[in-house]
Amino acid sequence: MNLDLEELAAIIEQLDKTEFTDFRYEKGDLRLHVRRGGQFDEQPAAQSTAAAAPAMSAAPAMSAAPAAAPVPAQVAAPAAAPAAGLDPNNLPAGHVAITSPMLGTYYGAPKPGEPRFAALGDSVEADSVLCIVEVMKLMNSVTAGSTGEIAAVFVADGDLVEFGQTLFALKVAA
Amino acid sequence: MTERIFIANRGEIAVRIIEACDRLGFETVLGVSSADRQTLGARRATRTVVIGGPRPTDSYLNADAVLQAAISTGCTALHPGYGFLSENPDFATKCAENGIVFIGPSPEALRALGDKLTARALAESVGVPVSAGGTATSAAEVHELAESIGYPVLVKAAHGGGGRGMKLVESAADLEEAWSLASSEAESAFGNGTVFLERFVTDAKHVEVQILGDRHGNRIHLGERECSVQFRYQKVVEEAPCAALPEETRTLLHASALKIAVALDYVGLGTVEFLYDVDRDELAFLEVNPRVQVEHPVTEAVTGVDLVREQILATLGHPLEITQDDVLLAGHAIECRITAQDPDKALAPSPGRVTRWRPSVAGGTRLDTHIYEGYLFPPYYDALMGKQIVWAADRDSAIKRMEGVLETFLIEGLKTSLPLLRRIMAHPDYRSNAVTTHWLNHELAQEVR
Repeated sequence: MNLDLEELAAIIEQLDKTEFTDFRYEKGDLRLHVRRGGQFDEQPAAQSTAAAAPAMSAAPAMSAAPAAAPVPAQVAAPAAAPAAGLDPNNLPAGHVAITSPMLGTYYGAPKPGEPRFAALGDSVEADSVLCIVEVMKLMNSVTAGSTGEIAAVFVADGDLVEFGQTLFALKVAA
Repeated sequence: MTERIFIANRGEIAVRIIEACDRLGFETVLGVSSADRQTLGARRATRTVVIGGPRPTDSYLNADAVLQAAISTGCTALHPGYGFLSENPDFATKCAENGIVFIGPSPEALRALGDKLTARALAESVGVPVSAGGTATSAAEVHELAESIGYPVLVKAAHGGGGRGMKLVESAADLEEAWSLASSEAESAFGNGTVFLERFVTDAKHVEVQILGDRHGNRIHLGERECSVQFRYQKVVEEAPCAALPEETRTLLHASALKIAVALDYVGLGTVEFLYDVDRDELAFLEVNPRVQVEHPVTEAVTGVDLVREQILATLGHPLEITQDDVLLAGHAIECRITAQDPDKALAPSPGRVTRWRPSVAGGTRLDTHIYEGYLFPPYYDALMGKQIVWAADRDSAIKRMEGVLETFLIEGLKTSLPLLRRIMAHPDYRSNAVTTHWLNHELAQEVR
């Protein structure tokens, strides 16, 4: 199934009238992903982690732009630059990986439109909440576990995160 | 629309389901524990997601994580395999509530079958033979019931399985203690302490009928299997058909299974289990397993029907493509379960690294397995490594064929049940088809002495 520009514009117009932060539509080969807030990614978890972060660091206060027009996401061509040069599976000395304690949906803010728990460069304490992972409508907080500075954010709101997947890199306080 | 099937299981059955989906052109998403990232299934699925830690309660039994994974990956249906969440009516209900087709019977059928007393009552109500038994509330009633059944009797958990919460009682003196012990065991293991009494049949064969139903009222059976070679209620060798059945009894067996399928408006694959008392030529209903069985390949071998394919299509709403008349049984098939268990230590689990894995190269045999050379067999799950299946024109030829195949099967790095399987194939009792369900327990006990 193909979608021309006019149809796409119509869909976005409809979406603009509704309350949503993330919209996914799949039919046959067509995959449409629209997200409010100005950044996007759509990749299997293993590859998306690195790609998601630059968008995050470029728009650390994504909740500050709640009225941003929906952006149709490109499915297969995410920005290739790694997050601040950090590889989630091979962090340099002095950094620790903060991993997801469960499979679920990642959210960096308590609610859409509210300030993020933590952003790139933030100093956090061991008990600071960094994000929530939702499993079947149950919200689970993920804490930093150590004192330090957020050196990278590898996932984006709405992403499926797997058990043990690296969500953040934390530069541990000396 | 391309179907995308979430596979909520592991091991050989996950590979088997992926195979069926591949042949149907369906995409697969396999949910694995963090200990199972390197399995054959994880390599073969379209996509793999890690749903939790190694312990089953954190991953394969974690209903919320499994369901969330299926939803988030855009799956249209979920195959629960066997064990884990496959017989859980609440999980099946949750799948339906979230728009995911549960590849199994209805939650109502699962609920009815999960309670063995209800299942017994259902069987009785449609005229299917059940063994003498029942339940009672007061001690006096229990004694009365046991007397009417006749000792020895078996105390069984209504919500149990796999031999847990089961007690053999030889005389009235031990009855009350066994009854309360079984009840508290059942309470802790299954969260329900309901127990009941059944006559203990000392010499019976385990026979079971494969049933298949769709959402359009079509139901068929695909003949029977015999699974009498068991160790502590775990099946070790299975075959199809049951060569010991007189034709009249076989007809009754199949008709009984179909009656139960009709009464439950059964959808998908199911197995109706019976005990067959050879001397009395009597059948007694045991229970229904509402899922694909480990031993389904022997039925596939004698019918030529891909059962997992039919199960998936039927639950997705397709009418059955085969009728009862299309089901033709040919020849004899045997399956041996190769497990990571040490036959010299009462089949104690023996996980470890598989340093050598050299199956037989004989043609025309089937091996369902998730093992490859170098695979680290984990200690968290059941011991099944693979299922060797052979087919031949008759039982004797099939045994010979299996002997040849097992003889050249080479596994190194851990202890396996291969030596035991070879001994069973060579044993005169097995070859003469005299084996009943307690045979292997006795054989192994004698060897230890």
